[in-house]
Amino acid sequence: MTIGTQVKQCLSSIKSIEAGLSSLAIRTQDKETKAILEESAGTIGEIKHDMKARIKDLEREEDQYKGF
Amino acid sequence: MPDWLLVILRAIGLLITVFAILKWLGKRQLSELTLFEYIIGIVLGSIAAEITISPNQNMTNGLIGMAVWFIVPFIVILLSMKSHAIRNITQGKGTVFIKDGKVLEDNLKKEKYTADELLEKLRRKSLFNTADVEFAVLETDGSLSVLPKKDKQPITLSDLGVKQSTKEPQTVLMDGEILNEPLATAGRSVAWLETELDKLGVSIENVFLGQVDAMGQLTVDLYDDKLTVPSPQEKPLLLAEMKKCQADLELFALQTDNTEAKKMFEKNSKRLQSVIDKATSVLQN
Repeated sequence: MTIGTQVKQCLSSIKSIEAGLSSLAIRTQDKETKAILEESAGTIGEIKHDMKARIKDLEREEDQYKGF
Repeated sequence: MPDWLLVILRAIGLLITVFAILKWLGKRQLSELTLFEYIIGIVLGSIAAEITISPNQNMTNGLIGMAVWFIVPFIVILLSMKSHAIRNITQGKGTVFIKDGKVLEDNLKKEKYTADELLEKLRRKSLFNTADVEFAVLETDGSLSVLPKKDKQPITLSDLGVKQSTKEPQTVLMDGEILNEPLATAGRSVAWLETELDKLGVSIENVFLGQVDAMGQLTVDLYDDKLTVPSPQEKPLLLAEMKKCQADLELFALQTDNTEAKKMFEKNSKRLQSVIDKATSVLQN
């Protein structure tokens, strides 16, 4: 497995974590817990953003990593 | 009227009266009665017994006696609810037996307690060593309330610095039937419940009890105890995945030669770690 696919795999995991946290946050009744979950989901979203940028760089540097 | 009929009628009438009076005086367990209430109970009971079985007795006299024993305490109770001073007289005050870890012998003597009795009461609270006690009060009902020294107190989540808030779970399924009101309180719909049951692979008729916790997870108990139902896995899975990603990011940081990318991976792995630290208390079952 190349680095490109590994990073992409990690990105998809991050996306799934973000979605999981958000869905938990929506379903949670308790305000404090909800706040923690929403904040966590937000931070994960920022990480996701950075990862996407990195994948773009990787794809530009190494053309064969393009696509899924 | 024959005597026996009179006894029956009086017994029934007085039974209802005494029952009503005691209900009126308040809802308390026998062990929680103050001395005052205790005596009232005994006197009312004896008067009632006396009028019941002696048909020659004048019924009116007995009823007047009962009324006095009811009205006076009733007024006193009303007054003592208003005034602290009267409360101290009627209900008494707690007596401090141990203060700052020292036994107050004078107070023990005042309440006619021996050292043995004090030790016994402490032992009942699982405190075998008087040195472990910071503060102890003999309450008005004769029980001892004890505050152990800080280092002898049971550990709590706030001692550990864990912030955890809970909401009461809602029971949404009982005896194979959906309870609509708790379901609405939990903020769920019947359709949601049916989907969750489908996910677990059980039918509604087979469910004895089903509860939704504060995080919206459904746990069920089935009639058929041989079947095992998976416990909710969502939160632990999420936590595990977060840990895996954090490890991955660290790995990428080590592998890459690009300094900028290295910095980015390191920063994000640290961020993810902080998220994990914060969310662990919430995500652990």
